[in-house]
Amino acid sequence: MAQPQRTRSRIKIYFDILSSVKEEGNAKPTRVLYRSNLSYDRLTRYLDELVTKGLLAEVRSEDSRYYTITEKGSEFLLEVKKAEAFLKGFGLSL
Amino acid sequence: MVDELYLANAALELASGVVALLVSYTAFRYNRLLRSEILSFLSFGFMLLGVGLLAEGSLHSLISFNIGQILEDRAVVYVASVIYLILQLIAYSTFTIGYYRGSFGRVREEGVLPALVFIIFVHTARNPLLLGTYVNATVQLIVVLLLAFIVFQGLLVHGGSTGRSALVLGGFLLILIAHALVLVSSLVISPPLYLGGALVQFAGFLSLLAYILRSGRVGATSTNT
Repeated sequence: MAQPQRTRSRIKIYFDILSSVKEEGNAKPTRVLYRSNLSYDRLTRYLDELVTKGLLAEVRSEDSRYYTITEKGSEFLLEVKKAEAFLKGFGLSL
Repeated sequence: MVDELYLANAALELASGVVALLVSYTAFRYNRLLRSEILSFLSFGFMLLGVGLLAEGSLHSLISFNIGQILEDRAVVYVASVIYLILQLIAYSTFTIGYYRGSFGRVREEGVLPALVFIIFVHTARNPLLLGTYVNATVQLIVVLLLAFIVFQGLLVHGGSTGRSALVLGGFLLILIAHALVLVSSLVISPPLYLGGALVQFAGFLSLLAYILRSGRVGATSTNT
C-alpha cells in the first residue's frame, strides 16, 4: 500500500543537499540544484543555512563558487542516515 | 517452585525492561536530531514499557527472595500489578496512535485514551469484587488488540520485505503472542504458561535489540564504502 505523498521536511532537504555535495566532492550550486530538486531561491537559502551551521563550507575562486562538506556535516549526515534506518524499520520515513 | 517461577519471570522482565529503555533512548536521541513527532511517540511508549517492566521485575525479585515479606502485603502487589498494566496500556496505545499518524496522517486521538479509560475503570467499577481479574483480562485483551493493529499495520507497510524491518515486525509479533499467552494463562490459571509469555516477550525485545544494533551500523557501513 502506497503511503500518502508528503512534503519534504527541512531535515530531508538538508540530507539531500549534503548527500549530493558529499558525492560530488566539490559541488557547484547548479549540480546541487539538479540533484536536490529545489528552486534556485530555496536552494540558495538552504545552502546559506548549512554554511552558517558549519555543515558546508563555501569555497570561492576567481570565477566560480563551490561547496564542500565539513567534518561536522559528515557527522550530521551519518546520524541522519542512522535515524532514517531506524525509522524505516517501523515503516516510517523522514 | 513458585519462587523459582517468580525469579525466572523477574529476570526476563528486567532484561526486557533494559532493552525497552534502550529502544526508548535510541528513539529519543534521533528525535533530538529530527524533531519527529513519530519518534516522540516511540520514545515515550518504550520508556513506559521499560519503566513498567523494571518495576514489575523488581517486585517479582523481591517476592522470589522474600525480601520484606512483600507477598504478605497483597495490596502492594495488587497496586503494582495494576500500575504495570496501565503503563503497558498507555504504551501500546501510544504506539498505535504513532503508527496510525505515521501511516495515515492525523487521527483524533483525543477520543481514544478516554474511551480506553472508560472501558477499564468505569465499566469494571460496577463489580469491585472482580476488579483484579477483570482489570487484568480486560487490559491484556486491549493490549492484544492494539498489538494486533500494530502488527497488521506493519504488514501493510512492509509488505513482503525482509531484513531489518522484519526484526521490528517480528518483535511486535512475538510481544503480541506473549500477551495472548499471559491472557490465556490468567484465564486458565497456569503459571508455566505465564512464564512462557514472559519468555516470548523477552524474545520479542531481543528482536528489537538486534534491530537497533543493525540499524546503528547502517550509516557507518554506507559511509565507509
